[in-house]
Amino acid sequence: MIFLLPAMLVLFLTTIYPMLYAGYLSFRSYDLAKPFVPRVFVGWSNYQQVLTSGDFLNALSITFQLMVITLSIQLVVGVGLALLVTQRLPGMGIARTLLLIPMMISPVIVGLVWLFLYFPELGYLNYFLSFVGLDPIPWITSPNWALWAIAIADIWQWTPFIMMGTAAALTSLSPEPYEAARIDGNTRWQVFRHVTLPQLKPVLVSLVFLRAIDAFKIYDIIFVLTKGGPGDSTEVLSLYIYRQSFTFWQMGVGAAASFVSLIIIVVLITLFFKSLNRDQTA
Amino acid sequence: MSAITLRSVVKRYGSVEVVHGIDLDVEEGEFVVLLGPSGCGKTTTLRMVAGLEDVSDGELSIAGRRVNEVAPKDRGVAMVFQNYALYPHMSVRQNMEFALRPLGLDAAEVDRRIQEAAGILGLGELLARKPAQLSGGQRQRVAMGRAMVRTPDVFLFDEPLSNLDAKLRTQVRLEIGKLHNRLGTTVLYVTHDQVEAMTLADKIVVMQNGHIEQVGTPEQVYAHPNNMFVASFIGSPSMNMIPARHEGGRLRAEGLDLAVPSRFEGKLPEGQDVVIGIRPTGLQRAEPGAADAVVARVEVTEFLGNEALLDIRVGDHELIAEIPAAGRPAPGDEVSLTFDPSVIHLFDPQTGATLSR
Repeated sequence: MIFLLPAMLVLFLTTIYPMLYAGYLSFRSYDLAKPFVPRVFVGWSNYQQVLTSGDFLNALSITFQLMVITLSIQLVVGVGLALLVTQRLPGMGIARTLLLIPMMISPVIVGLVWLFLYFPELGYLNYFLSFVGLDPIPWITSPNWALWAIAIADIWQWTPFIMMGTAAALTSLSPEPYEAARIDGNTRWQVFRHVTLPQLKPVLVSLVFLRAIDAFKIYDIIFVLTKGGPGDSTEVLSLYIYRQSFTFWQMGVGAAASFVSLIIIVVLITLFFKSLNRDQTA
Repeated sequence: MSAITLRSVVKRYGSVEVVHGIDLDVEEGEFVVLLGPSGCGKTTTLRMVAGLEDVSDGELSIAGRRVNEVAPKDRGVAMVFQNYALYPHMSVRQNMEFALRPLGLDAAEVDRRIQEAAGILGLGELLARKPAQLSGGQRQRVAMGRAMVRTPDVFLFDEPLSNLDAKLRTQVRLEIGKLHNRLGTTVLYVTHDQVEAMTLADKIVVMQNGHIEQVGTPEQVYAHPNNMFVASFIGSPSMNMIPARHEGGRLRAEGLDLAVPSRFEGKLPEGQDVVIGIRPTGLQRAEPGAADAVVARVEVTEFLGNEALLDIRVGDHELIAEIPAAGRPAPGDEVSLTFDPSVIHLFDPQTGATLSR
């Protein structure tokens, strides 16, 4: 028991206490700019302010848009790459290692790398586009493009995660049903659709949910690339919370927004475990 | 016309040759068993017939048509795998449906075939279950059903009973035998278990190290083995092998002096080294002092019910005798045994080939 104490202490100081304190703050008016004003109890008004604010709902909508875009592309490309790298072809071992590299890089660095690529006048991407005679694209300076620019960077970084998990699942599938299907004469697509995919489903569901939770918290890449702009076109939930707390210094509102997003994540996780259980009992 | 024909079929993996130019004819409706120890090339041969492995050299024909380059699905074969190879997420019915899918049959015909197979194999109650909810024997029956619904010209079985326990193995073995009698489809069946081979086969193909050692009916390979390998591989317990020498019409070895059986008279040069082969059932108890009786010390007695196996020592040789269990001797006893001359085999110790022909 005594050996657990240090770990419990660290957990308490770094996770439990801040969370309780944030809970406490979410019911108080607390302006960081006015340190000497007492933090009075304001009931649910911070929550009310968050849930009725157009900015919050916009941030929520952008978070989900980004999640849907990145997850769907990561899933399709990741599974495709996994199918490719698990083939017995020369160079696949190296390819698999190379493809994993983006995942190993810190998201801030990924943001910086893509900033170099996207940079309006001096960026490499527009430079390459000019070779094929295309006009430069305002990657991070146009509200129409910025979300896609962030999505591309996120897809680049996290597709390998889906690939790795799927490849591991693929290599664990027994080969005989595939031989049976070959003798029966089912086409490759039918075999993939009816034999491979259903067997991969539990793994894919897990991977997608892990990614969904991560995507819900996305912060670093956006902070480096657009800081939520242009306008609020890429302001996701975590940026909204950051802005409320540390730009507008409304700590109470920021704390309330954090709790709302926590509840959304908990709902997501609950759905995830429910779907896993359903798979197991089916 | 043969159902399956192999002519000088070779299989190589890179520079390693694992099947060395084998020839085989499987007649229409025949139940042929490829029998041999692990690594003898029997499964590789079966997989070449299925089209899961390419033929490196030689010609493979099914129903008179060369199929070396034909895709597995177009060969008219269906295969039952050792570990069943069922689709784990599909029900029994869906497993069979998926096998039928490429044939493009209408729903009524698909249902008719599934019901028929389920009726024959006793799967009616299980159609809605998934493989994980079935016992090993049931899974193997589903695998057979899945092969059956496609009404193939040839059934291929790859050690289908290996994953089953002993009791179930006997039961499913009987079912496979009945199924073949009922459907009359050509079967090529791989096993390392000689009991399966003996009980099921019309024709046994004994293989070793990528070569065919003998092809024959179960009786032929049991009673007239071509060589020492076949003789010792077929039959349980194995045939006793005793190195001996032909001297003056007698076969002599340490602790052993037998008259040459009349079939071999005039065929053996004086002084020739031979290996005497005799099955445990060919050794029978005799009165002490009987002609050509051998005196042996019993080391271990194994009681099997009606029979008992005696581990005995004759000179330097350890032999096994199978005798009626009643009145069996105890370990340490000395017994007199005679060799039944009609079932004595003689082999060339150099080549291993039989001297019986």
